[in-house]
Amino acid sequence: MAEEKINTHEQNTVPRFAVLQLSGCAGCEVSLLNAHEWTEKFQLTYMPLVSSAYDVPEVDILLISGGVRTDEDAHHLKNAVKNAKRVVAVGTCAISGGVANLGNRDEVRQLFLKRQDRLDVPRLLPRSRPVDDFVPIDLYLPGCPPTPELFMAALTDPAGYQASLIVCQECGRKKLKDQKPEHLLGFQKGNVDPEICLINQGYACIGTSTRGGCRAPCTRAGHPCVGCRGPSNVLIEKDSQAWLESIQKVFHAMTNIPDDELKEALLSPQLALFLFQFSDYAGGDRPPRPKEKVL
Amino acid sequence: MTTLTFPLSRIEGHARVEIEVQNGKVISTRFKATEMRGFEIFVQGIPAEQMPVIVPRICGVCSTAHHVVAVKTLEDAYGVTPPPLASRIRSLLLLGQLLQNQATSLFIFTMPDRVGADSLFEMDDVDVIKKKHFEMAQRALKIRELGTDLITLAGGQFIHPVRAVVGGVNAGIPAERAELMLNRLQQALPMACELFDAYWELTIRMKDRIGSWGDDQPAYYITSTGKVRPDFNSHEIRVMNPEGECCEIFSPRSFREVLEFKESEYSYAGKTSYKGGVIRANSLARANLTAHMGTKVANGYLHRLRIEFGIPAHPIMLFELGRGIELVYAIERAAQMLEQPLDGEDTDVPYTPRDGEGYGLVEAPRGPLIHHYVIEKGKIARAEFIIPTVHNMGSIERALKVAAERYITGDTVNMELEKAVGRVVRAFDPCIACATH
Repeated sequence: MAEEKINTHEQNTVPRFAVLQLSGCAGCEVSLLNAHEWTEKFQLTYMPLVSSAYDVPEVDILLISGGVRTDEDAHHLKNAVKNAKRVVAVGTCAISGGVANLGNRDEVRQLFLKRQDRLDVPRLLPRSRPVDDFVPIDLYLPGCPPTPELFMAALTDPAGYQASLIVCQECGRKKLKDQKPEHLLGFQKGNVDPEICLINQGYACIGTSTRGGCRAPCTRAGHPCVGCRGPSNVLIEKDSQAWLESIQKVFHAMTNIPDDELKEALLSPQLALFLFQFSDYAGGDRPPRPKEKVL
Repeated sequence: MTTLTFPLSRIEGHARVEIEVQNGKVISTRFKATEMRGFEIFVQGIPAEQMPVIVPRICGVCSTAHHVVAVKTLEDAYGVTPPPLASRIRSLLLLGQLLQNQATSLFIFTMPDRVGADSLFEMDDVDVIKKKHFEMAQRALKIRELGTDLITLAGGQFIHPVRAVVGGVNAGIPAERAELMLNRLQQALPMACELFDAYWELTIRMKDRIGSWGDDQPAYYITSTGKVRPDFNSHEIRVMNPEGECCEIFSPRSFREVLEFKESEYSYAGKTSYKGGVIRANSLARANLTAHMGTKVANGYLHRLRIEFGIPAHPIMLFELGRGIELVYAIERAAQMLEQPLDGEDTDVPYTPRDGEGYGLVEAPRGPLIHHYVIEKGKIARAEFIIPTVHNMGSIERALKVAAERYITGDTVNMELEKAVGRVVRAFDPCIACATH
């Protein structure tokens, strides 16, 4: 990661950035459009969603969203990074392959590849893959999607940005010692108490070990954290088992929920999607991403 | 035979247009969606109750529609009816999405065509025209941000909402937060109208300059919004025939008997048709099939559209004016809804999950969106997502053909064709992430 701040005054030119969208949902782009302070500070030179430009020009920063699902994704990715001084992987899909990774499961993978029998369309790769399987990445910006605030931090001063360690610090719900649920409530139920910690209410919330920075919009709205920001810095360089155990420890201390019930919930797709984005969920034996590179 | 390939930009997702030409004659025009993640396949085996949080990831632009329709599909399967307060909050959520989407399509995707720019985001203090575009883009971003803020208010998370739950919603909207949003909407209305007036005028100017966008012929129209006034949290689908008569009303449960769906040989998106005819969904279908907008300013615009272009109206540029009318409607209607209390206790009803089959429907910005799940042992055994953009595939290709035939004559291709292709496609505002899912 380039340590120096991009300084708009010193260089007397406005820094240029581009957005390369691979296979994803464009939610990251929608969030970036919400962070409209960049319009005053940066020149956007390539982002097919909002401008008609067909090649990535030379840029100071290249943001990549979406995972590598097709051969065309891989081709665009390799070409685009050649012209970029700094490359940022944005969102769960770029970092791990994201929701498309559910298609990597053996029981559906074959069904899936059958669907590509079409004339002259980009070929699906055997598996959905993260961008750093193909190109080196200078900075990871996790979140599904990252908030506008995080986008601005990644663009302007990633080294100086200090996120809260965990989502709980931003959530503000009260943790109670004497309210221990016996069972999980399920993923979505009405009648959420607005003040009390979601774990005390029996939800499979994993905000206790998920890195902060999002300002906890989901938990504050009464939905358990699914961990889209990835593990906190304490856990990020460890394997997924360490994260799993840390969450289990929290539930042992705060609830009477049986182990097997909790484990089933933690390994279910909704959570597994995000829970393991930094380690082994996407398959393979890639090393963990160093915490210095994760915003 | 020659194949002309046109990459596409300022649309949601990855696609290109291919036009086959032989001896000066246009053989085919193909809209080719070039991405697929495989949601219908990979949701197989996942717990049904997780669908409302997983399916918004089909598309970050249309996520709210997928979130709400997933909840409705599960409610259909479980036999649950949400209380009125929950339905109102879901409607508000869908209005936030409408506002965000129409502002993006109007001012970021299609405005550049009207002012002859590649994008409105070129910062330039010297060039007066670019500066004006840039200021317009900044105002447009503020309007669309209001849409995402409304989604946050009603849905919790701003892109992939979380607050609609089976049985209702997980909380009401506190009065003080509702009032803040109400004030912002009221302040935004004049700015949105001003932007839309400029857009309308530039649209007419472009029409005077180039004539048609590409296809002014009648088609079938399909929508699920209300007959008397729009309702995006919808329950039944209506079809209008090319003569302008409502010829069919059906529930999402019977979509297979009414619509013909075909996978495509050359695109990751399929295509639907009605009785062999081309269908149009999205804003023009709603403008043709709605009696009244139900809000004052938006209805004034609808009235003007009808005086100038008749009803049913067919030129595809009217999709774009229709989107502007809905932008204004979304602001006005959301304000009306926020004037009523939304913080009651009666947010949800209890339910018991069960196996079976469910169908759900909402009107997404691009048209009727249907989900269909088969649930076995609490898990998804089969899922279908019937995507509005897929209804429009036939009409996009028909309009591309009209444009191609206009600009390809003998052995010459008029370079205006490239712009025409972009204009045609953007008029339909296709969403490729959804269409291929």
